[in-house]
Amino acid sequence: MSEQLVQQVVNGLLIGCVYSLIAIGLTLIWGVMNIVNFAHGDFLMLAMFVSFWLYTLVGLDPLLSIPFCALLLFVLGLLIYRFAVSKVMRGPMLAQLVVTFGVSIFLANTAVMLWTPDYRLIDRTLLSGTWQFGTVQVSVAKLVSSVGSVVVSGALLLFLRRTRTGKAILATEMNRDSALLMGVNTDRVNALSFAIGSGLVGVAGAFLSMYYYIYPQVGGLFGTISFAIVALGGFGSITGAFIAGILVGLVQTLGGYFFDPAYKYAIVFLLYLLTVWIRPQGLLGW
Amino acid sequence: MRTSRLALVVAAVVAAALVAFPFVFTGPFPLHVMIVTFMFATLAVAWNIMGGYAGMFSFGQAAFFGIGAYTSSYLFVTHGVSPWLGLVAGGLASALVAAAIGYPCSNLRGHYFAIASIAFAEIVRTHFNNWKLVGAAEGLTIPMSKGGFLQFQFHHGKAPYYFIALAFLLASLALSWWVARSRMGYYFRAIKESHELAMVLGISFVRYRLAAIMISAFISAAAGTLYAQYILYLDPESVLVLSISVQVVLIAMLGGAGSVFGPAIGAAILVPLSELTRVSLGHKGTGVDMMIYGALITLISVYQPRGVWGLLTGRIGPRAPPAPVAARPVAVQEGSK
Amino acid sequence: MAHRKQLGIIGIVLSLFALLGPAAGRAQPAKVIRLGAVYPLTGNIASTGLDCRRGAELAVDIINGKYDLDLPLARTAGLPNLGGAKIELVFGDTKGEPKNGIAEVERLVTQEKVVGIIGAYQSSVTKTASQATERLGIPYVCSDSSSPTLTQSGYKFFFRASPHDALFARDQFNFLKDMEKKGQKVQTIAVLYENTEFGSNVGKEVVKLAQEYGYKIVENISYAANATDVSSEVGRLIRANPDVLMHASYITDAILFTKTYREMGFKPKAIMTFAGYIEPAYLPAVKSDANGIIVRSTFALDLARSKPLVAKVNELFKKKYGVDMSENAARSFTAPFVLADAINRAKTTEPEAVVKALQETNFGPEQVIYPWQGIKFDPQTHQNIYARGILVQIQKQQYVTVWPFDASAAPVIWPLPPWGNK
Repeated sequence: MSEQLVQQVVNGLLIGCVYSLIAIGLTLIWGVMNIVNFAHGDFLMLAMFVSFWLYTLVGLDPLLSIPFCALLLFVLGLLIYRFAVSKVMRGPMLAQLVVTFGVSIFLANTAVMLWTPDYRLIDRTLLSGTWQFGTVQVSVAKLVSSVGSVVVSGALLLFLRRTRTGKAILATEMNRDSALLMGVNTDRVNALSFAIGSGLVGVAGAFLSMYYYIYPQVGGLFGTISFAIVALGGFGSITGAFIAGILVGLVQTLGGYFFDPAYKYAIVFLLYLLTVWIRPQGLLGW
Repeated sequence: MRTSRLALVVAAVVAAALVAFPFVFTGPFPLHVMIVTFMFATLAVAWNIMGGYAGMFSFGQAAFFGIGAYTSSYLFVTHGVSPWLGLVAGGLASALVAAAIGYPCSNLRGHYFAIASIAFAEIVRTHFNNWKLVGAAEGLTIPMSKGGFLQFQFHHGKAPYYFIALAFLLASLALSWWVARSRMGYYFRAIKESHELAMVLGISFVRYRLAAIMISAFISAAAGTLYAQYILYLDPESVLVLSISVQVVLIAMLGGAGSVFGPAIGAAILVPLSELTRVSLGHKGTGVDMMIYGALITLISVYQPRGVWGLLTGRIGPRAPPAPVAARPVAVQEGSK
Repeated sequence: MAHRKQLGIIGIVLSLFALLGPAAGRAQPAKVIRLGAVYPLTGNIASTGLDCRRGAELAVDIINGKYDLDLPLARTAGLPNLGGAKIELVFGDTKGEPKNGIAEVERLVTQEKVVGIIGAYQSSVTKTASQATERLGIPYVCSDSSSPTLTQSGYKFFFRASPHDALFARDQFNFLKDMEKKGQKVQTIAVLYENTEFGSNVGKEVVKLAQEYGYKIVENISYAANATDVSSEVGRLIRANPDVLMHASYITDAILFTKTYREMGFKPKAIMTFAGYIEPAYLPAVKSDANGIIVRSTFALDLARSKPLVAKVNELFKKKYGVDMSENAARSFTAPFVLADAINRAKTTEPEAVVKALQETNFGPEQVIYPWQGIKFDPQTHQNIYARGILVQIQKQQYVTVWPFDASAAPVIWPLPPWGNK
């Protein structure tokens, strides 16, 4: 029945927006430094935990902990860049691929050690309940998260296109050598990009913590999907990652609904492979 | 000359120790650790051929491992085919799948290839998880037969498994050595450098990429059959998961990707380490062992990306003349630097 | 020079591991009987592993001490037929992987010299672990894995005290038939299950039994337990519009699905579930949304009404760990008693004798904390013939026994109350 179809499309869009936010941070890092941050999912996990602990210890609603999550993850990104990533930039490709895996394993298990593998949930948020739009029911928390994700993504684009630092980042993304020639401090740009990318996933984590369960390995599936989204959207393209995120959310939901929920992620990955074969640089990459 | 004599001595000592091991340590646990070590070493050597030599960094090795394990097990359980024949069948099946996926992916480099391999492996896992023919999520149980070499099952002690696993490893190492020194190995290194270089040399970029992937897949599948015959039970969670693929890459890198023996050394360090920490720390449930593991990987990537082999020999790769200097790639998506 | 420094750093990190070296097998004083317990103590499912560990440890406490309880060996300190020998549990971490199941069993038996095994919670691990004990010839009593296939291999040394999923599934259908007698007719069923061994086994059983009992399966969905979103699954359920949903899940998907049912307004007459909905973290997460959901269980705290033993054991558990006993802890609680009792009757730890004693096990209903007639093993399959489940329903955010009707604490609420007013 068509009302269920509309409901599914809406749900696909909702999860897609959150995917987009996660992917945008990742693609920024990739575009600027040519590094895939395989620990991105674990950054998301940390942000969710930060939100959880702020809620449990101080009673802060996840919506209000967004700035804290963003800031803490920004700082974490800077630290990881300084102490691990920057040092492999001159190293072999394999080291660049593997270093963030090492960080990923380390972070996930530090979370286990600090907080046990138990599942946590934030149970009472400011935004609870569902709204009804005609025949479609939407969870308020999810709606706010998705709209919020879009807003933040838009803010990032504005930052990149309108501010000086932002333009420097874009320039480095397009052509590193030219940017250097133009006097851009590429090392600072790298650090900043890594930090901003991490901050963005921090925001996503705060949003997710409003309705998703939290545990040390939660980064796994989100991370894997975000890699596919970023590659699908295209190397370094923010808009590409955004569109790919929405697309994946829709494919996952509609594919699961019409075809078989057991295969819904396989369909996503298949879509990724098909796109990349036909157009190796992704949808909007260059 | 001195180094080469030293190398021979070391090799002889190691060989003697390996042969003597099961007669000194007769308990099942030490043998188990060694068998798993040999198995992962074989997988890492296989990965090395496509990754370390030819520059295709795959994070989907588990797919080939699993296809091999499932093929031989399915053939044995349903049609009574000897696991040795099943091993060959699994290897061929794996190589075919590798070619099928490798061909469209032949233009992908670096990160794109890595992510494609993850996507591919996940599709395989999901499929096997839902495929009733091979037991879907419940997996396949290989019934205990009367045992013996032909059945590839041994019930009185693990020493036969130990020697077979060791033989697999030695065979893969021999193959790897041969590839490295042959013209094919030279071409692998060329395509690792760049597509343009391959053109300059007049070789088919795609064909050699496929060769590397198929060889790698075959060996990985053989290791899969070994696993299946050793554990006598497999399900998608135990043979097709991402964590196996990641472990293989980490082992190869720790030991020294691109060298012949590096991957084996990496396995010799990481596998016993993870078994021992599981035994001593695992029961406390704190995850400290994995934390140290993650930190170790990060440190290695940063400070010694050439791995242990690079540390020991100061260089990586065989003594063949260095590949010609590649023209600096212009397209942004080509590799690092 | 740089090489040396790097070698040094790596050497230091590696020697950190060496310092933590493995526990060596120690010679045992004659009065200790060591049993191996293999559980997933680290990894994704570690919190369940911890639950199981607690149950087993409490059991051993009771065996070793003197307690005024009807449980076997509780009133004596240790095993009286072996001079008061005490039980010591040696734990092995499987990390949830079948290959570690084998390795840990072998290690525990050959290096730590345990004379019996309990565990391993996950059926896929129990499968390989029981294979290892069969090869080594060591008795293995399992009371926490539910795959029916475990007792279908004809193993001599493996015994299972708890019910399996085929029994649990049958319980649910018997309940539906009983409801029919009360005038509540059901025609269509949707089955939903997570896609690992546990879930898909349940799925299979449900489909089989539905045919046997004459119900129509209108939707059959398998999904990944760690899914990021389950809108498509619930969408399909709404489209299929079943009378009853049967759901086999772990805890995380139980939470995610409950929230999504509510969000999307999925409301069958009943939601009948396996496992995940009875985990301790579930109710606090979903609160009143859970009301009305039915879960299969072997254990419920309100059994204390008809069986005071349950309350007394829970008291001890609470005193030791600060929380009520959970379903997992209750399951793992049984195996040590079965093994210790058999060893005691055999008057030796020699495996063949213990196995013979196990085959003669005969606990009465007052000696178990479940609604069973007791424990007695089928001579062929070694499955406890008295093992059975019960159905509990979440009412006012508590688990209340509702079936079998003669053991129920409250009448079942049917159909499911609307999402708004729970």
